[in-house]
Amino acid sequence: MNRKASVIAFVIATLIAGTVAFTQSQAPPPGSIKVPAEPIVKSLLVQLGDTKGPTQPIAFDHSIHAGKLGMDCLYCHYAAEKSPIANIPAVSTCMGCHKIAMTDRPEVQKLAGYFQRGETPQWNEVYHLPDHVKFNHVRHVKAGVACQTCHGPVQEMKQVYQYSSLKMGWCVSCHRQNLNHPTNPASMDCLVCHH
Amino acid sequence: MSEIVFNRRDFLKLLGIGVAGAASGCAPRESEKLIPYLVAPQDILPGVAYWYASTCGECSSGCGILVKAREGRAIKIEGNPEHPVNAGGLCARGHAALQGLYDPDRLKTPMIREGTTWKPISWDEALSRIAMELAQSKAGGKQMALITGHETGSMASLAADVAAAAGGTHLAFEPFGMDAVREASRRTFGVAEIPHYDIASSEFVISFGADFLETWGNPVYQARQFAEMRRRPSTRFVAVEPRLSNTGANADEWIAIPAGAEMALALGLAHVILADNLGPSPDGRGALMDAVREYTPEAVEARTGVPAAKVRELAAAFVHARPSLAVAGGVAAQSEQAVAMVAAVHLLNHVAGNVGRTVKFDRLMNHEGTASLADLQKLGEDVSDGKVGMLVVQGPNPVYATPAWAGFGAALEKVPFKVALATSMDETTSQCDVVLPVLHSLETMGDAESIKGVYSIVQPSMQKLPMFDARPAGDVLLALAHGAGAGSLPATWSAYVENRWKGMQSRVGGAGQPFDVFWNETLKRGFVGRPAAASGARWSGPPTFAAPELRGAGEMALVVFPTVNFHDGRSANRPWLQELPDATTKAVWGSWAEIHPATAQKLGVQTGDVVTIESENGKVSAPAYVWAGVREDVVAIPLGQGHTAYGRYATGRGVNPLALLAPAQDAASGTLAYLSTKVRVTKGGPAMDLVRTQRNQDQADREIAQVIPVAALLGGAAAAGHGAEGGGSDSHGAAANGHPVALPSQTRLGKYTEPRQMKPGEKIPAHAVTAFEQEHKVRGPRQIPITEGSYGGAKHRWAMAIDINSCNGCGACVTACYAENNIPFVGPEPIKRGREMSWIRIERYEEKVSGGPNDVRFVPMMCQHCGDAPCETVCPVYATYHNPEGLNAQVYNRCVGTRYCSNNCPYKVRAFNFFDYSAPEKPTFAFAEPLNWQLNPDVTVRSKGVMEKCTMCVQRILEGKGHARDEERELRDGEIQTACAQSCPAQAIVFGDLMDPESRVSKLSHGERRYWVLSELNTKPGVTYLKKIDREIPA
Repeated sequence: MNRKASVIAFVIATLIAGTVAFTQSQAPPPGSIKVPAEPIVKSLLVQLGDTKGPTQPIAFDHSIHAGKLGMDCLYCHYAAEKSPIANIPAVSTCMGCHKIAMTDRPEVQKLAGYFQRGETPQWNEVYHLPDHVKFNHVRHVKAGVACQTCHGPVQEMKQVYQYSSLKMGWCVSCHRQNLNHPTNPASMDCLVCHH
Repeated sequence: MSEIVFNRRDFLKLLGIGVAGAASGCAPRESEKLIPYLVAPQDILPGVAYWYASTCGECSSGCGILVKAREGRAIKIEGNPEHPVNAGGLCARGHAALQGLYDPDRLKTPMIREGTTWKPISWDEALSRIAMELAQSKAGGKQMALITGHETGSMASLAADVAAAAGGTHLAFEPFGMDAVREASRRTFGVAEIPHYDIASSEFVISFGADFLETWGNPVYQARQFAEMRRRPSTRFVAVEPRLSNTGANADEWIAIPAGAEMALALGLAHVILADNLGPSPDGRGALMDAVREYTPEAVEARTGVPAAKVRELAAAFVHARPSLAVAGGVAAQSEQAVAMVAAVHLLNHVAGNVGRTVKFDRLMNHEGTASLADLQKLGEDVSDGKVGMLVVQGPNPVYATPAWAGFGAALEKVPFKVALATSMDETTSQCDVVLPVLHSLETMGDAESIKGVYSIVQPSMQKLPMFDARPAGDVLLALAHGAGAGSLPATWSAYVENRWKGMQSRVGGAGQPFDVFWNETLKRGFVGRPAAASGARWSGPPTFAAPELRGAGEMALVVFPTVNFHDGRSANRPWLQELPDATTKAVWGSWAEIHPATAQKLGVQTGDVVTIESENGKVSAPAYVWAGVREDVVAIPLGQGHTAYGRYATGRGVNPLALLAPAQDAASGTLAYLSTKVRVTKGGPAMDLVRTQRNQDQADREIAQVIPVAALLGGAAAAGHGAEGGGSDSHGAAANGHPVALPSQTRLGKYTEPRQMKPGEKIPAHAVTAFEQEHKVRGPRQIPITEGSYGGAKHRWAMAIDINSCNGCGACVTACYAENNIPFVGPEPIKRGREMSWIRIERYEEKVSGGPNDVRFVPMMCQHCGDAPCETVCPVYATYHNPEGLNAQVYNRCVGTRYCSNNCPYKVRAFNFFDYSAPEKPTFAFAEPLNWQLNPDVTVRSKGVMEKCTMCVQRILEGKGHARDEERELRDGEIQTACAQSCPAQAIVFGDLMDPESRVSKLSHGERRYWVLSELNTKPGVTYLKKIDREIPA
């Protein structure tokens, strides 16, 4: 019994030590922006789909702007149809309206605070692709792929969450379907994304 | 030991705890942050590249460049196609300017020396200390000396203004200054200008030691001209030098003349022309004949060893090939009679009637006001006399680039206060009292006039790097001048430049426009003006000639020569250039001493054994490189290495042969005599390695570099088809008697060996098209090509045509590829194991290098994008495959690292990441901050365990196709260029679409000179080579 207990204790201790070591080894590379880690419980809930999407520094509500007000995605994210990289709008784009609109709302005041201090909010990335994937926004937008196809019903989202799995199989399935599209055929060539 | 017994409950408990422990270890991925602009600039988009026209500052050629900036970082430099100096080409050092900008060893703050340590100080402290010292120096009646490099344009003007304000002198010191050429021109043509040598128009060029394809003159311009000349089969190029330089390697004939005897041969040719009345009748023939009277062919034979009959033959051919051209003045041949040598060659050009045809004064390299070694020595004397109170050095590195006997180092020690304006520490700045970090030319405003009349812009392509507290050198100099009381000068460098341009506006054709409009147009274009001619250049009579004497008790003549990698040593701290294999020896990351096989045998050394070279002035040791391209009585050592304080990549690497030089200068121009010394060579020395990427320069009948006899091109029908190595246009390697060679895929007659019946209207898919053969003609084991989906719809077949007749081996393409594709440099140790990561290499094959007829061939070799690729069939995970547009694709994230593909590749063009070159925490990290700022965001940075190779710059292809799509038009030929093709100064590489019958690559790939490397393997390459033209040398 003693021996067994000590074996069990040893195994558990190793597992805990290994877990700690493993989590510590996943430290962000030097020089990257340090972000306070979200509490484990909240993260688990996020993954389980309780409050969808990461919390953002300013609680920007797409359902008001893109939904109720009917603003075009490309008004703010104009680079999506000009560049491989879609932009996150500059604070000045928001202030274009919010200098005078809804200035009594706490979130708008947060935004104005950033602008006055000359700081930019550090938005949490929702749609993350690894470095070996070179996704090209402009080609998709010009091919007529609606923003909602990949990003989901953003105009109904109070807080943006990752709508699609972003797995390669998901990308390829759409490419395969549109292989023989009459005007905008998609490519099944690995090189168009992996180069 | 008692048995451990687990019951089921305990086991399940343990399992549960284990799972919980593991699950809690899986922390959720921390999200990346997206940082927007505060105020978005109107004209900048993330993900889109912006190009800025500027001027390269890596040497005095001043090539026009376009700098590509992504997200505010300069990531690639290319030649400006419209610029008159380089017309779009760029040499390896131009590309590596980025590594000067992003040098991890750049100075971070101003520093002051206290004893042997450096203490960081603030700019204000530094500038006030300098002002105080300058005031003191002035009060004591002493001068300030300002030493810059060779500057033109606004910086030259500012330096003069500052020197005047501070009460002192300005020396523009350029180690490879063309002072001898200018002085020779003054004595022979009456104008102190460097003539414009029109190589492209010449039919016969003789070079007397001028490395015009490497560092002499404007190498990029000259390389393009030379390639143009060599496309004509009738042209001839003879190199006269004791050591076969890389320029000489491109010659049809090498005359291995004793060191210092070049002048005698030039005058001998002139003698024959005059005596036999071969040329046009020049004025003052009598005087000319007198000058060359003693140089009869027999006398020349006695002095030089060149047979008299050869002298006569050369002279006759030189005159009859109208027009011809002789050039001289390279560093390796610069002796104490440098002016006499160049003057002799001017005389030869004159009597052959070349002046006004190929030797013109219509385009002048601007070397106005350069200081020679003699001027530096005069400064040294002034220092010894106590006349100099303060020295400011900005740019050159005289402590390294001049021999110790010239006294600059000693003089520097005696100057009371020394200031250096530099980007990084080097041998000279480390001797100064205060060092001030200044901006690199890619971060600063400015201009240059490297060709008189052509005013080039230098403009920043990005904001200054934040991690270096540097300021524009012009600002610092102006602060100095203001401190000395020159209140009339503008406060800032940009204001100074602008004022000058306002004054210049009407003179350069900008009259009638508001200045802002003119300025913006100039910034966009990169330059204004056109080459100005010199007036009044006429033959003013032959100077006196004397042959140089080499000093020293040794038996071997020492030849020190510059390389395209390092120039005078200023680019040694760029790792790309250390990793670029030397054009001649293919050595990397070190120095070597070239000796002849007979010498090697006497010494008992082989290539790689260390030898020690000693003169009365110094001693160096280097590994020997044994080859027949150097005379038996010559030992040749490259310049540019052997730094003692120049950053982590250059310090302690190789040797500096200047330590061996005897005190000798050309009295007429004051330049250093690089060719002056006799040395003794002995076996043995400290252990050091000769690391080479190519150890065997023998083709061994593999017919990788093929030639076509010139008779075949000049219409000699009898010559075509026989005697030509490698056969004519038959792609299956047919033997001379015309019988087809059996290929593995054709060993059995049957269903797949007959031409396949094509259905009506069936189109050959793009990926099946090669210039080698088309798939429908003879079928290999492959089944019906895919004609549906993306394979059927592809419209292009990307391919290349490489003209080895134009390639001169400079290696600009190699460095361009490193810059474009995030290729890591690995250092000498992996290269010893053959693990260099370059995607393109220049293979050098020496068919004949022992004097007389010369045949050295350069083959740029990269992934051949084979139609029937041996690598594609063996990848177990399908990471490499043939894409619809004919490229052989490598998908990095799929590769598991079996390396079977590289094993199967007959061209050995695949590079495997044996180490993690992209992980900052590993010692193999190749992108030390801020070198990682240079990385191209459009190309994946590969990690360990992944195979990589040339992709034909697929990121550029996709970008080009995207642009065409946006503009709703077809792609134009030449719109997409791979990095190597874009960079080549000789335009040897052509990239394009084989499906377009009108494209250049199609026409070249079906031309008469085409062949494929290792074609007998039936790989159906997408890269077609053009044979080198083999000219017959008369005896």
